[in-house]
Amino acid sequence: MKRLFTAAVVIALPLVMAGSAVASPADDSSAIRSYFSKKFPAVELNEFGNGVYAIDKVSRESWEAIEEFPPYETFVDAGEEMWNTAFANGKGYKDCFADGPGVAHKYPHWDKEKGMVMTLPLAINNCRKANGEKPLKYAKGSINDILSYMTYNSRGHKTNVVIPSDDPRAMAAYEEGKQFYFARRGQLNFSCASCHMQNSGNYIRSDILSPALGHTTGFPVYRSKWGTVGTLHRRFKGCNKQVRAKPFKPQGQEYRNLEYFLTYMSNGLELNGPSARK
Amino acid sequence: MKAKLISTLFAGLLLVTPFVAVNAGDDDKHHGDDGALKKAVAEATAAKKKAASVGGEWRDIGKFLKKAKKAAKKGKMKKAMKLAKKAKWQAEAGYKQVMAQKTVELPSYLK
Repeated sequence: MKRLFTAAVVIALPLVMAGSAVASPADDSSAIRSYFSKKFPAVELNEFGNGVYAIDKVSRESWEAIEEFPPYETFVDAGEEMWNTAFANGKGYKDCFADGPGVAHKYPHWDKEKGMVMTLPLAINNCRKANGEKPLKYAKGSINDILSYMTYNSRGHKTNVVIPSDDPRAMAAYEEGKQFYFARRGQLNFSCASCHMQNSGNYIRSDILSPALGHTTGFPVYRSKWGTVGTLHRRFKGCNKQVRAKPFKPQGQEYRNLEYFLTYMSNGLELNGPSARK
Repeated sequence: MKAKLISTLFAGLLLVTPFVAVNAGDDDKHHGDDGALKKAVAEATAAKKKAASVGGEWRDIGKFLKKAKKAAKKGKMKKAMKLAKKAKWQAEAGYKQVMAQKTVELPSYLK
């Protein structure tokens, strides 16, 4: 009897341990995609990049009408002017982004040298600072012009976030971003996932909650509520405020790691920013 | 008889009113004696800092503390004390929330 028990433990232990092992980013992505494909079986993977308009016909109709005269167009034009205007030292964005403006699909990425997640807004300001220019604000204002122009030129490229295996700090950043996404916060005790995974497709007051998959592809976005274009981190701030949590600073470590996790989940989806949202 | 009764009641009312007013004032003083309020605000501020140190501060705590100080300046000590206590409770809850959410994994609906 004792032998039988020991044998059972020896067989079961590795199985239990495998079950409790930490999921890899690929496992997370697979679980999340499988969840959304079951929840919205009629929606193709790339369509998730259109947010709520991928799952709600009525809002899609008005969105398509808006897209005929895109409200973000003037921001793209202003960004083009910024791109082509030299800094005081005679250099410009072109000197920092040698591959041209269409490089948004290369962000966020793990910067091994700096040991942190590098986002496009941060890279833009690093460029400015390196050339003696004042950095731009990260939520509102003209950072959205240059971002709109660069993202517009990156349309069609696929999201491709890599978590390098040769630097454990990159995985730690991913895990921190994931932890942020699933942790409940604020007085309302909601996590990002409470709304955009568990309740995606349900109404919150008069709005339908958009699915998390594809959330990052369309930023910066022109939100009718804002009446202007805003960054992804501005949206993060807004979400945190809505659950009555004190928001973090745009481009701080918390939101950069969150962006790293969230963008990884959209790997393979085409960039379609700037976009228009309610 | 009726007129006598009414005038007696009216006189009584006049006599009682100042006491009620004084007691109400006392009540406000009782709740807001300066030292007690200062202590409550200090405790709430410390709890707010503790919650912020782990990223668990809730949105309105700072607002409650500001309002508490403003109310105290206007002499509304009862209101100020209530706000300070609310701020402290929320800050402690925010800290506990972060501690409870430290090891979250994929929720069951994703598995």
